[in-house]
Amino acid sequence: MNGSGANSVLLRASGVTKRFPGVVANDDITLEVQRARVHCLLGENGAGKSTLADLFYGVHEPDEGVIELRGEPIHMVSPRDAIAAGIGMVRQHFELVTPMSVLENVVIGTRGEAKVDLRTARVRLGELCDLYGVEVDLDTPVGDLAVGQQQWVEILKALYLGCEVLILDEPTAVLTPEGIERLFTTLRRMASEGLTIVLITHKLHEVMEISDDVTVLRRGRVVRTSLTSEVTMAGLTRMMVGRDVDLDIDVAEASRGDLVLDVSGLDVATESGRGSLKQVSLVVHEREILGIAGVSGNGQDALFDVLVGMQPAAAGTIVVDGQDMAELSPAARLDLGVASVPADRIHQGLMMDFRISENLILGRQRSDRFGRRGWLNQNDIARFADDSFANYDIAAPSPTHVTRVLSGGNLQKIVMARELAGQPRLLIVHQPTRGLDIGATEYVRRRLVEERDRGAAILLISEDLDELLNLSSRIAVMFDGRIVGEVDRRDATIDRIGMWMAGVSGTPGEAPP
Amino acid sequence: MSAGISNAPGTSSGSLLRRAGWRLERRLEVKPWHEVVTLVGAFIIGLAICSILIAASDKSVVDSYRALFDGAFGSRRAIYETLVQATPLIFTGLAAAFAFRAKVWNIGGEGQFFAGAMGAYFVSDLWSGVLPRGVMVPVLFIGAAAAGALWASIAGVLKARYDTNEIITTVMLNFIILLILSYLLGDLWRSPDTFYFQTVTLPESTHLPLMIGGSRLHWGFGIAAAMAVVVYVVLRRTALGYEVRGVGINRTAGSYKGISVPRVTVLVMAISGALAGLAGAAELAGVHHRLQLDISNNFGFVGIIIALIGRLHPAGVVVSAIAFGALVNGAVTMQIQTGIPAALVDVIQGLSLIFVLTGAVAVRYRLQRTRTDESLPALADPTDE
Repeated sequence: MNGSGANSVLLRASGVTKRFPGVVANDDITLEVQRARVHCLLGENGAGKSTLADLFYGVHEPDEGVIELRGEPIHMVSPRDAIAAGIGMVRQHFELVTPMSVLENVVIGTRGEAKVDLRTARVRLGELCDLYGVEVDLDTPVGDLAVGQQQWVEILKALYLGCEVLILDEPTAVLTPEGIERLFTTLRRMASEGLTIVLITHKLHEVMEISDDVTVLRRGRVVRTSLTSEVTMAGLTRMMVGRDVDLDIDVAEASRGDLVLDVSGLDVATESGRGSLKQVSLVVHEREILGIAGVSGNGQDALFDVLVGMQPAAAGTIVVDGQDMAELSPAARLDLGVASVPADRIHQGLMMDFRISENLILGRQRSDRFGRRGWLNQNDIARFADDSFANYDIAAPSPTHVTRVLSGGNLQKIVMARELAGQPRLLIVHQPTRGLDIGATEYVRRRLVEERDRGAAILLISEDLDELLNLSSRIAVMFDGRIVGEVDRRDATIDRIGMWMAGVSGTPGEAPP
Repeated sequence: MSAGISNAPGTSSGSLLRRAGWRLERRLEVKPWHEVVTLVGAFIIGLAICSILIAASDKSVVDSYRALFDGAFGSRRAIYETLVQATPLIFTGLAAAFAFRAKVWNIGGEGQFFAGAMGAYFVSDLWSGVLPRGVMVPVLFIGAAAAGALWASIAGVLKARYDTNEIITTVMLNFIILLILSYLLGDLWRSPDTFYFQTVTLPESTHLPLMIGGSRLHWGFGIAAAMAVVVYVVLRRTALGYEVRGVGINRTAGSYKGISVPRVTVLVMAISGALAGLAGAAELAGVHHRLQLDISNNFGFVGIIIALIGRLHPAGVVVSAIAFGALVNGAVTMQIQTGIPAALVDVIQGLSLIFVLTGAVAVRYRLQRTRTDESLPALADPTDE
């Protein structure tokens, strides 16, 4: 590594907090990025990585705290300021003009010159490509390039604009394994030439492979910054999913009852092949919570979708109370007593522009409880909404307010109130406490336990290991679309599950740091 | 360190607003009065800008607008005539508003209008000699609604089954229905005593009764107003309306909770087409009494504007349809009295739409002071070493 730049702090966030309506995306973050090193920001979806990157790139301004570059505070109100200061970023969604050539796309970001000198630009860009070993034909229209190639154009743009810090937000998501290899080789070369790389990812092995330093984020806070050489995958897993101190719910073991859900040999194909399911089998009984652990992107979304009927099964059966519902529509599954709480409550669970009371009856707008023959009974709906507000501590001015005004915790309470109202036989829950504050988290968890004690069979898909260890009767671990291990809660340890989550089968051989 | 890169020229002008310490913030809730202010404001700005055009042509702005107003609302007769003009627009406006509520972009109101008129003519032609007026008129409206629904359903089914872009299919269907009508008017349905492309005049038994004797105001207006109420009730009080609005707001969440988006799409298209078809029946049975190619004054397309200006609300549709009817009606008087071309009202209509749409976005935001305590520090010098 380049000795002259080592151990000097180039980019620094101190005490940075960023709030969005209903969430604290970054909570008092302090973080130092050393010059000429590859620094990974690691965390689950929603841990606040992208928000932090956006703060570094001037997309948002921090509500509190300061961002410093070369030891001096910088105040950025737009990416233009970041670029001028020497910070470049490749975002998840590219900002390219597809009919124009690579060269034109790179030059388009330079401002302040009346006339662009394409010839000089070509020479300089050629030098950059040679320096870092980037292979892109400068005259090809960007629209003709593969997505992985387009990412190189974005990287070139940042370099051409003179960045000293290059931030990449989940750059490997669009790459093939060979593409990832090439990217990492180049990134290492850039770091050795003096560039500073900040890489955002939720993939552990990438962190181990590429980074010098790693900062783990969880629920908007920094868990720890370490030298990558001093951590293990299992240790990182543990930091990522974390340990909540106050959230231990005293779960008395309930004796499980009859078999409710019996999934066998389930295959689900996805278009990209990512996140598909392969031969998944599992069972859930009455008064039992089966936890599904796994790092995100290992098939959890497909599992949820196929169970609620949003994605077809390519093979296998989904039997609920003796009836195979693999071919049934989502509506028919609701009628069988299958309730669900999706991971993305804003996009999958709620109509944000509906009244709160309207969201509370979503899915049951045609049930006799809220009307007759296609007519809605406003009184019944209002009464149900009032009951839900009382039973679920929903903090909102009134049920007739638009749902958009609510905080994350209250949104989730609405979903819970709706899904639990029908006393479901089977409850499928995906990431039920993601993005919620401690109070709401505990509330949701308590409700799940109460539902279990009432007699429901619950499938709990979560990336929060503590949550799973706390609530589940048994825990199964998903990796690459398969269930790679299952363990009774009494025998479960974070290490064992962490190994499975990292794709290592067998018994754990090393202790976490 | 040296990366061997010279710094590219950067600027740091940023957003003026943000540098001045203000920020646009999304309102959590848009209240009804915000919408009303937007609507009225947009209309007034439209009129104001047109007054510049009038002044530029050396005409008196006050006189022109007075003539416009007199022509639209200056007498009982003028008001009735305004309502006659508004009638088809209420139907087509409701048609567009209903579909747009579900984010189903039915741009085929014009074609569905003609389909409706053709359906009405077809049943009239068949039964006007047999059925008494009290039965014939309702039957004719049912025929029109069915024909409009059927025509629109083609696009609905294509979208539901094959995810075909309904904007394109509905527009294409407009052309097709007009060509079919031309063919029929030139052949099967052509009146034997003329060489124009038109049918015979339909008998009395098919004529819509007048609401006000001695005027041209027919019961089509009453039916249109009633349909506005019906659409409102369906949207707010029925499970179907709930699903229609739900699909418009978030079809993903809707499908997760069992709403069949394809089914709702087809239904919405059909109902929207039926509403536009009713406009065709009202014009045929209330005004023209015979079918020809020019019975629509772009009612289907103007209905889209009406729906957008009316913020997709049935009451808003009725109000903006009457406003448009007034403009069309008053323009004639204005042209006669002041010599200003009636086409000016097209400009007013267009400008109003632009400002309503702008205002509809703007109203979702409010200005918020960001920081007052410090002046913004200068940026670090980008040149390095």
